[in-house]
Amino acid sequence: MSDIPALEALKQALRRLPGVGPKSAQRMAFHLLERDREGARLLAQSLTNAVERVIQCRRCNNFGESELCGICSSPRRDVSLLCVVESPADLVSLDQAGVYNGMYFVLMGRLSPLDGIGPEELGLDRLEALLDQGEIKEVVLATNLTVEGEATAHYITDLVRRRNIRATRIAYGVPVGGELEYTDRSTLARALSGRREA
Amino acid sequence: MREQQQCAFVLHQRNYSETSLLLEVYTRRHGRLGLIAKGARRPASKVRGVLKPFQPLLLGFSGRGELMVLTGAETDGSDIELVGTALYCGFYLNELLMRLLHRHDPHEALYDRYRAALEGLRGSASHEAVLRIFEKHLLSELGYGLMLEREGGGQIPISADATYDYIPERGPVRVEHPELAPRLQGARVRGASLLALAAERLDDNSIRREVKALMRAALAPHLGDKPLHSRRLFQDRLPAALRRVEGGA
Repeated sequence: MSDIPALEALKQALRRLPGVGPKSAQRMAFHLLERDREGARLLAQSLTNAVERVIQCRRCNNFGESELCGICSSPRRDVSLLCVVESPADLVSLDQAGVYNGMYFVLMGRLSPLDGIGPEELGLDRLEALLDQGEIKEVVLATNLTVEGEATAHYITDLVRRRNIRATRIAYGVPVGGELEYTDRSTLARALSGRREA
Repeated sequence: MREQQQCAFVLHQRNYSETSLLLEVYTRRHGRLGLIAKGARRPASKVRGVLKPFQPLLLGFSGRGELMVLTGAETDGSDIELVGTALYCGFYLNELLMRLLHRHDPHEALYDRYRAALEGLRGSASHEAVLRIFEKHLLSELGYGLMLEREGGGQIPISADATYDYIPERGPVRVEHPELAPRLQGARVRGASLLALAAERLDDNSIRREVKALMRAALAPHLGDKPLHSRRLFQDRLPAALRRVEGGA
């Protein structure tokens, strides 16, 4: 235990970050205080700023600084396309791929019955309300390729098709630069069953 | 305990620290176990794509107590891939096992039934029939087997044409005038439904409906007050017509 309460409080606060234990927290705290006090001030200000200003978009759940996020308020986006992802990080990755120009909906999780997360906990009624507005012509399901992600995609597909909207699932297969010899069986099986005209 | 190449399934997994997983597995020889899979979420991890529910696995693990360490994982050469409603049914089976099996309590016969049920779900069999038959074996493995061929407390065989109230811990009680008699407790079923479940032939829709109510009543005392979450995947917002077709659990 340290006898400097402010330092102790800083270490405890740093431990809230994922993957930061007592040792790393101490290293970070000493680094900021010994070598980078300016950086520490910047960090403190940015944190306060972000916490006060960043909110969730009321349309897609993504983070933004206004009620509608940058993507939802952009006039250059195709509003007839909606891509459903599990997390804001997934949204960023997909959007950086640069081939998709539609809208997004961030679930902030996935259906996981064994963790007690069902359709209500996931707030799928908001997605349904969005679908009912009638602008969307196609929903791209980009949930993860885990069993929970697949179950989520299947559940949402039901919701989408019942409204006579097209539902598509992202393709799976061998990654770019991947070698078949080192690719696992189930990926290869999917790559084969999802093959297309050359 | 130090084991290698043990037949097992992952029932559930949760992220643990930055790169690891906490697994709840069902092994054939040791029953349900808690394992920690260190580094399993690193991009280069060899077990990352292998450790998934419904996939027959060969696992190595060592340690003692409540949480052991995973030392190896590979598929056993077969793939069981569940899609769509079959996947919901798979979650339901896993939730039942998580709720009703104790750790370190081996149930080898039930393990084989579980595997057969997953294969049934993947195949063309009726999902509902697969679930009901598994539930029957689960109850009997836990020591609460149903009486399906004789009336409770007697030697009188069940008659297909008669009607019964199935009362937990007592068995089927014959109801003489079902249209007049209020239901005692448990579930009201026709003799034909009891016999069909005993013979594991659940092809008829009306029989399946009765057997479902029967199994719900029989499982309820063991599940307690907490509802099964996987059941909600079938029920939520599905129109009644769809629910009858798809509602497996």
